Amino acid sequence: METANNQKNRRNNEDGKWKFSEILADPIVRERWEKVRKFFFLRESTYDMSNHCNIRCEGCYYFEGNKQFTAEIQDPLLWQELMKKEKKRGITYVVLAGAEPSLVPSLLAVCYQEIPLGCIASNGLNKISPLVDYNIHISVWGNDETSLRVRRAKNMLQRQVDNYRNDPRAIFVYTFTRENIDEVFEVAAFLKKNDCRLTFNMFSSPVGYKGGLRHTEESLSRTREAMLTLLAEYPNHVLFSHYNAVAHTHQYGLHVLYDCPYPRMNPSTDIGLGRSFRQYRTDLTWDRNMACCVPDTDCSDCRHYAAGSAVVTAKLFRHAADPETFKAWLDYVDTYLSVWVRGYPKGKNLCNHIMCPPKAETRLKN
Amino acid sequence: MRTEQSISDIILRVAHVMIEELKLEDVTPKTFDPDIDLVDEIGIDSMDLATVALVLQDEYGMRFDEDDYPGLTTIRLIAEYIKDALS
Repeated sequence: METANNQKNRRNNEDGKWKFSEILADPIVRERWEKVRKFFFLRESTYDMSNHCNIRCEGCYYFEGNKQFTAEIQDPLLWQELMKKEKKRGITYVVLAGAEPSLVPSLLAVCYQEIPLGCIASNGLNKISPLVDYNIHISVWGNDETSLRVRRAKNMLQRQVDNYRNDPRAIFVYTFTRENIDEVFEVAAFLKKNDCRLTFNMFSSPVGYKGGLRHTEESLSRTREAMLTLLAEYPNHVLFSHYNAVAHTHQYGLHVLYDCPYPRMNPSTDIGLGRSFRQYRTDLTWDRNMACCVPDTDCSDCRHYAAGSAVVTAKLFRHAADPETFKAWLDYVDTYLSVWVRGYPKGKNLCNHIMCPPKAETRLKN
Repeated sequence: MRTEQSISDIILRVAHVMIEELKLEDVTPKTFDPDIDLVDEIGIDSMDLATVALVLQDEYGMRFDEDDYPGLTTIRLIAEYIKDALS
């Protein structure tokens, strides 16, 4: 997958390897590096907020495994106490997720009060108070016909847009399944028409999932094509990059390509996510063996956008190998920050061609 | 004596890079305790350590192994790693 551009970039010094300072000698690269590194202080954890939801979607991560059966703590004071403790142990960014955070507005408010950087994963059917100034990720699983079938919700996209049109917190997240690839074009056109921003997610099968949404090699390839077409067509509304498309539609999942550092797959507690990340359930407990951003996902099939945001970003060292690889990584991180951090402006992508994930070829041969 | 001096020089340089790159305040290369735990005591994370490792690679013309640098959590450990790589 390595392109001619990259070959041209090959260095011909004593060991054929690039120095980091040489990669940063390009002022555009240096500027982007300085822009993204300001956010290296982000330390995330995720929190299930409610054990009920106003819809029920096929393949939903929340309603897999045991976490759905945990008690729901709805006392804002207990949540506030948890947030204070989280802040104390260095958490600077919260992801408020399952089952549907918009159903517990008082909990969102106390989280925001204690840790003002974060994101809410919502189905977008309820409006969240503007006082909670987190980014809001609104999940889209296809056109309205598909949503009715898979999510059992009528006129879903129209209702989501009605709630979040002109809301600077809103990012629509289109999850590609094996069955909804072609529908993305009408959905993206509708979102563009309403001036809504869009990014992409990949359906990643829960453990034991046997349904028809799981991707195949053919669907991965078609998904990549669709992503790149839309990125070219709506560059001001689609928050994505070529390298995002590569990382999330590769025949191998994120764990094989990048060594997932979440506690569930990483026994080390020395540094990074393995040390600080927790995934809290609705009863405010957490389990290291289950801790990742999408618990109960089959790790070998994980291409989830939230996972990639941490997994790919964490591999700075590996991507500082040559200018093109580093630009691809910068695009990925710039995309991740624009999707997750309120007010972070997406820059123009620096690498507009396909780059192979570093080490992937060696790794896949073994 | 020369060996000891050498490791001391590297320690000072590593401390300097760390202060510069991570914009650490209230510490100088000379006052930076080389045995302080960078993760526990200073709050350095994996991205910070990767950045420092990349800059030090340039300075010393050596390579850190991707699997090794996350375990180098004191300035002395980093300096010893560099010294071993250079010898």
